[in-house]
Amino acid sequence: MIKRLGHLFRLYFFQAWFSYRSLFAWSTPFSYATSKFGFPFFAMLFFVFMGKFVGFLDPMFIVIGNILMMPTTNGLYGISMTIGNERQFGAMSYLLGSPAPRAPLFLGRAFFHILDGFVTVLVALPIAMLIFHIDFAEVNLFMLACCLVLLSITTTGLGFIMGTVSLLSRDGWMFTNTLGQLLYILIGVNIPIERLPGFLQPLSGYLPMTRGILATRLALGGAGWSEVASLLAGEILVAAVYMVFGYTLFRLVERASLSTGSLDSI
Amino acid sequence: MIGNFLRLGIRQMNVQLRMRVLSLWSLALFFTQPAIFSAIGMLLARAVGNTRPDLVYTVLGAGIMGMWSGLVFTSTYDIRADRREGTLELIVGSPTPLRRVVGFRSLLNILAGSTSMLAAVAAALFIFDYSFSGINIPGVVISFSLLLLALWCMGIFLANILAWSRLSGTFVDLLEMPIALLCGFMYPISVLPAWMQQISAVFPIRWGLETLQDALKGSLIDSALVNKWLIALGVSFVYYLLARWFDRKVHDHIRITGELHSI
Repeated sequence: MIKRLGHLFRLYFFQAWFSYRSLFAWSTPFSYATSKFGFPFFAMLFFVFMGKFVGFLDPMFIVIGNILMMPTTNGLYGISMTIGNERQFGAMSYLLGSPAPRAPLFLGRAFFHILDGFVTVLVALPIAMLIFHIDFAEVNLFMLACCLVLLSITTTGLGFIMGTVSLLSRDGWMFTNTLGQLLYILIGVNIPIERLPGFLQPLSGYLPMTRGILATRLALGGAGWSEVASLLAGEILVAAVYMVFGYTLFRLVERASLSTGSLDSI
Repeated sequence: MIGNFLRLGIRQMNVQLRMRVLSLWSLALFFTQPAIFSAIGMLLARAVGNTRPDLVYTVLGAGIMGMWSGLVFTSTYDIRADRREGTLELIVGSPTPLRRVVGFRSLLNILAGSTSMLAAVAAALFIFDYSFSGINIPGVVISFSLLLLALWCMGIFLANILAWSRLSGTFVDLLEMPIALLCGFMYPISVLPAWMQQISAVFPIRWGLETLQDALKGSLIDSALVNKWLIALGVSFVYYLLARWFDRKVHDHIRITGELHSI
């Protein structure tokens, strides 16, 4: 039993480490930094100036929202790549042919992305404080840390789903990218949810990160456990649904590919 | 001579067009991403009570965004894709200069990207019910032509400069949004701090775009507009010369040292 558990842990962490290092497609610190901060940072500034032009008087809402969305670089794009690139790099057949248990193989892909996403926000927030002179005097640090950890985890649900989609389609990356950009609208990053058109607001509620970002904004304003507990519970529930759906979808695709041999020929 | 030149152009652009049209990724760059950015602009405006989006910046600006994103991803990958797919040696070995092939490809990339602008104009006319009656038509035509020239010059410049290293793909992340940010694709350049406006002066797109935005708002062809056209032309020419210089370097890199494929 203990030997079996040890094997599972070893498999989980080896998968996590190797998939993070090799399949996230960065080979130098420079390419890591540009892929992590390049688009998100400049997109944030772009939205700030766009907001300034149209008369949106709260640029800090956009700045904080975009920083809190940074874990999607790992949770959505990173995990999607680490799953989809298995086929791209020709390793899919070996993976599907191995007798290794699927749960650690699949879920292990998230571990270092969660850590990385969390550290990214931890680095970006103080930098934003310095650049934009944001006042975090009232911040509830413990709640903030809880929210950030949760945000880093909850983005992975979408990543698991989109990773499986990229196994099914050669244009999976396009779908992932489009979804990632739609999140700029739908989860309260640039525009407060209550100011979205009526037909979009319910959609936000079904997406991961919406409640997490709202809870984090409250924690930054000093809110305590009682004020954010329901939001965090909702966030955990939504994330769990997405993760279970992503894993189930992967198993279904895997099973279908074993009978039809279609996965590597797409 | 001219017939050969035209035939090469048509063949190159034909192949390039097929690659662009058959790629969902290109379509996302030309249409989806600009539409999302435009929607963000509209929703931000709506959040502060503006029911109608700004025609020039929020609607047509998305078209510019699509043209630029399309160009930056397609042109920067052209030579690199040939290297990856093993066709670079065949092109370099043929009597047609690589420069000419890249030039035609960049031209098609820009023309394909212009569909993004067409989509933005269609959206302005049919979705938002805007009228273009007040625009300065000759000014718009000249400015748009200069914008296309500026984009082409930057396209061939980027295609050559980014062929130098396998890591150059990462520069794309440092090009797409910063240029959009600095050149004022979806807001007037005056919104930016002065130091950012100074940096943006080195990009020909900024000047072409500024004149296009002015002409769309109905500005007359006065000395200020003509000066900006001349600056757009001059800066584009500088990029063209730089592209020629880099093209020679890349060519030497391939033919004399044979190193490009091994990078």
